[in-house]
Amino acid sequence: MAVKIIESCVNCFACEPVCPSKAIYEAKPHFLVDPKKCTECEGDFPDFQCASICPIEGAILNSLGEAINPPGSLTGIPPEKMAEAMAELQSH
Amino acid sequence: MQLPVLNDAPAHAAEKKGGCSASSCGTTDNQMDSLPDSIREKVQNHPCYSEDAHHYFARMHVAVAPACNIQCHYCNRKYDCANESRPGVVSELLTPDQAVKKTMAVAANIPQMTVLGIAGPGDPLANPERTFETFRRLSEEAPDIKLCVSTNGLALPDAVEELSKHNIDHVTITINCVDPDVGAKIYPWIFWKNKRIKGKKGAKILIEQQQKGLEMLIAKGILVKVNSVMIPGVNDQHLAEVSKVVKSKGAFLHNVMPLIAEAEHGTFYGVMGQRGPTPDELQDLQDSCSGDMNMMRHCRQCRADAVGMLGEDRGDEFTLDKIEDMEIDYQAAMEKRAVIHQAIQAEMDSKRLEKAEKAQQHKQEPKLSTRPVLMAVATSGQGVINMHFGHAKEFLIYEASPDGVRFISHRKADQYCAGDTSCGDGESVLQVTVRTLAGCEAVLCSKVGYEPWEMLEAAGIMPNGEHAMEPIEEAVMAVYKEMAAAGKLDSTPEAVRASA
Ligand code: SF4
Ligand code: SF4
Ligand code: SF4
Repeated sequence: MAVKIIESCVNCFACEPVCPSKAIYEAKPHFLVDPKKCTECEGDFPDFQCASICPIEGAILNSLGEAINPPGSLTGIPPEKMAEAMAELQSH
Repeated sequence: MQLPVLNDAPAHAAEKKGGCSASSCGTTDNQMDSLPDSIREKVQNHPCYSEDAHHYFARMHVAVAPACNIQCHYCNRKYDCANESRPGVVSELLTPDQAVKKTMAVAANIPQMTVLGIAGPGDPLANPERTFETFRRLSEEAPDIKLCVSTNGLALPDAVEELSKHNIDHVTITINCVDPDVGAKIYPWIFWKNKRIKGKKGAKILIEQQQKGLEMLIAKGILVKVNSVMIPGVNDQHLAEVSKVVKSKGAFLHNVMPLIAEAEHGTFYGVMGQRGPTPDELQDLQDSCSGDMNMMRHCRQCRADAVGMLGEDRGDEFTLDKIEDMEIDYQAAMEKRAVIHQAIQAEMDSKRLEKAEKAQQHKQEPKLSTRPVLMAVATSGQGVINMHFGHAKEFLIYEASPDGVRFISHRKADQYCAGDTSCGDGESVLQVTVRTLAGCEAVLCSKVGYEPWEMLEAAGIMPNGEHAMEPIEEAVMAVYKEMAAAGKLDSTPEAVRASA
């Protein structure tokens, strides 16, 4: 059981020092989780520490491959509003 | 040491909404007048605080602190901390070692650089190891450089002890509110004691930490400046209260910056269409708070990423691979810097004297009863008008009135968006620049080309290249008097503002 960091990670370093298992490391093009070391914070904290500080929705997945912080959950921007704004920008 | 509280008992201050008070106006540097001696000494040559010093000295930032422990609605976390930098800027992340090298390379080559700040790209105190390693080494190896740090305040109480050990000259806390209900509209979450805490509860903790940190710094005798981002409809009405609270605790400056929100930044405010304040709204708020507290008007928010003097950016000379090859003998550089700093000091002192004399003269002359006027100035430092209109990357905005000339703000030529959505779309650089100057009635520079001349005139802004190399305040006053003599100042400012 381990979490996973995917390409939407912006390399902000926030998750690396808060991991109790030292499972997160800097890599190119983005940070990665060592699946052998990740304990999902079992025994240390009730919440995944990395996913509790990560500012980017969707950047960290649980062992089922689901976003721990789904769209809209951190920024408060409704996903359809975001899609609208992005479509608007692209049309220029 | 307990820092004295500024404007200790301004019983009348609350009535002073806008305009000038007799004591703090005229052509003198009104910021300095009301400061107690101990603080005045600390700030008089400070490029961030002293209005005239910022024409002579420079500061720089190094990006060593990537992580952040909160979320602000005006930040998208892909760019630098929006609290201190210009939105949309990405700095090259440096290790503490690289940051120390870069700072010493710049200091040796640009002796005017006297202040080094850590402001991002995240929150410096959320990266204590990197931040303090940088400070520790610079305090030892380059003791003639003042250090400063800005923070959102969440981790501040735990950092005060360590901060007090280094050459820290001042700390900037971004405080946007003192009320958790307002805070909940600005901060969606914080990371606190191993948990993400959302909404009002998180905002409440953040506010408590900010206030506690502020009090602890003051108790240690460290200068504290407070920054606030003005968000129309969210905290604009609330910031006068913030000013009052932070002043009563001993912060010595309060600096209000405009929110800059663009949909393409992908921030909450950008996407949700929250607008930033217009230049007029910003100035009105700064005026209404200045009766309450010393306001810093020459904030260089937009310059946090620039290396060099006003109007220039020499960042390209100090990229990582270039500093790698530089051999810096800092001991020798420090001696050279000291000599140059002395010369600058002497020049500043004589200019200050001259300015005081001129102000004295001005008081003797019959007082005009004309309305105040905003003018833009293009300068590359030294306190004189010495820049070509087309070369200016930013303008200094001054207000001329019968009471004298006062500095109002910086406006970045390519950045200022007055809160509407017409920014950027197919406009020429020139059009954007002219729009940047909205509200100004004249622009003073060393030269203006034909095309901008016509556009400026059409926009109701009088171009003026007749005062090249003259001291800014004198030139602005001279133009103001010409305008008064020509009968251009008889209309009310309201009418002009409304049409601006
Ligand atoms: S879930 Fe916990 S243990 Fe696993 S990487 Fe994240 S912080 Fe580390
Ligand atoms: S906190 Fe999130 S965005 Fe930041 S480095 Fe970790 S995974 Fe990437
Ligand atoms: S404190 Fe700075 S880096 Fe952190 S969210 Fe706010 S603006 Fe962004």
